[in-house]
Amino acid sequence: MVAIDPTLLNVLLIAISGTLICAAVHFIPVGGAPAAMAQATGIGTGTVELAAGSGLVGLITASYMYANEPTAPVYLVMAAGAMGSMVMLASTMLAGGLIYAYGVAVPFASAQVKKDPITGQRQDNFISKGTQGQGIPTICFVSGIIGAALGGIGGALIYYVLVGIYSPLITTSAAAVAGVFTMGVFYVNAVIPSYGVGGTIEGFHDPKFRRVIGKDVLTSFVVSLICGVVAVMIAGGMVA
Amino acid sequence: MVLDLTMSMAILALLGALATIAGCLEDLESDVGSQSNPNSQVQLAPQMNFLHRIYNKAISGEPISNGLSAVTGGVITSVLLSANFYPLTAIVIGAFIAAVIYGIYATTAYAGRVASQTRFKQPLYMDIMRYTTPSIIGHNFIVNFCLVAIAYIQYVILGYPFTIPFLALIWGISVGAIGSSVGDVHYGGEREFQNREFGCGLNTALSGRIVRRAESGLRNSIDNVWFCAKFGGPATGIGLGLTVFFSSWPTTIWGYTWTAIIVGFVIVAVMMILNRLVEIQVKNAYGPYKEEKTEKGVEA
Repeated sequence: MVAIDPTLLNVLLIAISGTLICAAVHFIPVGGAPAAMAQATGIGTGTVELAAGSGLVGLITASYMYANEPTAPVYLVMAAGAMGSMVMLASTMLAGGLIYAYGVAVPFASAQVKKDPITGQRQDNFISKGTQGQGIPTICFVSGIIGAALGGIGGALIYYVLVGIYSPLITTSAAAVAGVFTMGVFYVNAVIPSYGVGGTIEGFHDPKFRRVIGKDVLTSFVVSLICGVVAVMIAGGMVA
Repeated sequence: MVLDLTMSMAILALLGALATIAGCLEDLESDVGSQSNPNSQVQLAPQMNFLHRIYNKAISGEPISNGLSAVTGGVITSVLLSANFYPLTAIVIGAFIAAVIYGIYATTAYAGRVASQTRFKQPLYMDIMRYTTPSIIGHNFIVNFCLVAIAYIQYVILGYPFTIPFLALIWGISVGAIGSSVGDVHYGGEREFQNREFGCGLNTALSGRIVRRAESGLRNSIDNVWFCAKFGGPATGIGLGLTVFFSSWPTTIWGYTWTAIIVGFVIVAVMMILNRLVEIQVKNAYGPYKEEKTEKGVEA
């Protein structure tokens, strides 16, 4: 087996994590402004805001796990990140669903599929006139959870790698610098899909998903690779 | 700091309570100032000849503006703590200064947005600015206080690796994301369009045609926050409260183990089932909208 240079491995891991975050955004059902007015399916906010919001909660849980269990395997830290992120998005979608159901009073319906692939329930006849679906049907909820998990894993992995790089150089401040840099990589990769999805996407069942994910993921990998190089380079200027 | 289980749960309950209040007040602040996606309709209304008396700020997206406000409070609190201020005093002063700065942004944003609509004859109501801005500052102060207090507890008592300003920034971004996703739907989907038929989505043709008359007189942002405080705000609070509580509860009880992670996944699965139950109930209550026979190529 060919041994990989540790620095190159770190850069690659950051690139892969960034790509995971980018892919994650495509799974999260965001409807933007139309969804906030019950005119479209999904969560009524923007892609970047929601992906970053959930991913950063994952970053908090992952960092706390790593701080309390410094010997924890990377998989456990990544799972903690996924859990925090999933809990945030699930809570948001559930509370949002309550508003759609009992505040606005609209049945949940996807405009992209005629039947929900998970529940098998018809969707098209629940779409009210002049809208592109409403609320958060089960397929969107599941897609969102998958996206949150991927985002949480990506954020936690970047944090894990960066703490490993910075800890020997700046012991006490390593977590803070790694956290801020992870947040930066998160935002970079949450913005890239916005151009592809154009503000709204229902999740992995949306035809738009297959159309744009390839280009977005490739772009994200290249950009994250540059982020990884910068993350390693800034370590050169660190003094304890 | 090492805490026993009882104390850990007490701290967690306090965090959950603070988060619930922060979430609720954040949404109400975005309603009284009219921010985020629903504000697109407030912005659009004058172009459709619907002049109104609703505050129109939208400093930026909610996560960013709340993140800015919370991190400002966090930074000031950190500085005061390093000057040996009593923690509660430091948090209160930090939150207040951040809220006042937020109020300045709100005022300039409102004046700027209305000024850009001169060609549509939308007036800038000085009375609206005078009595709505303090309400925005008041709501934002409570949000900042709760978020910086959460950050303080996490950093000083629970030993999180991030600093108070950074934790406040993350929670500010999260509360904005949840407020924008949850409570704003109540403001944008229901309150702004109470003229639509109940039990269906908003027809695109109604865009910009917001309701301008109140229960008494002309509607303003104080009327809107009164309405949204009944459901949108509390629901947002529940969203953030559940997030803060359930993202830490498994590790508090089961430690930093795989068991805790699995419990976290189970919580998510339970929420998924709850959402499905809500979906079934609401579909039975309001749908379907048209006869199934009109659809071609789909089995009934």
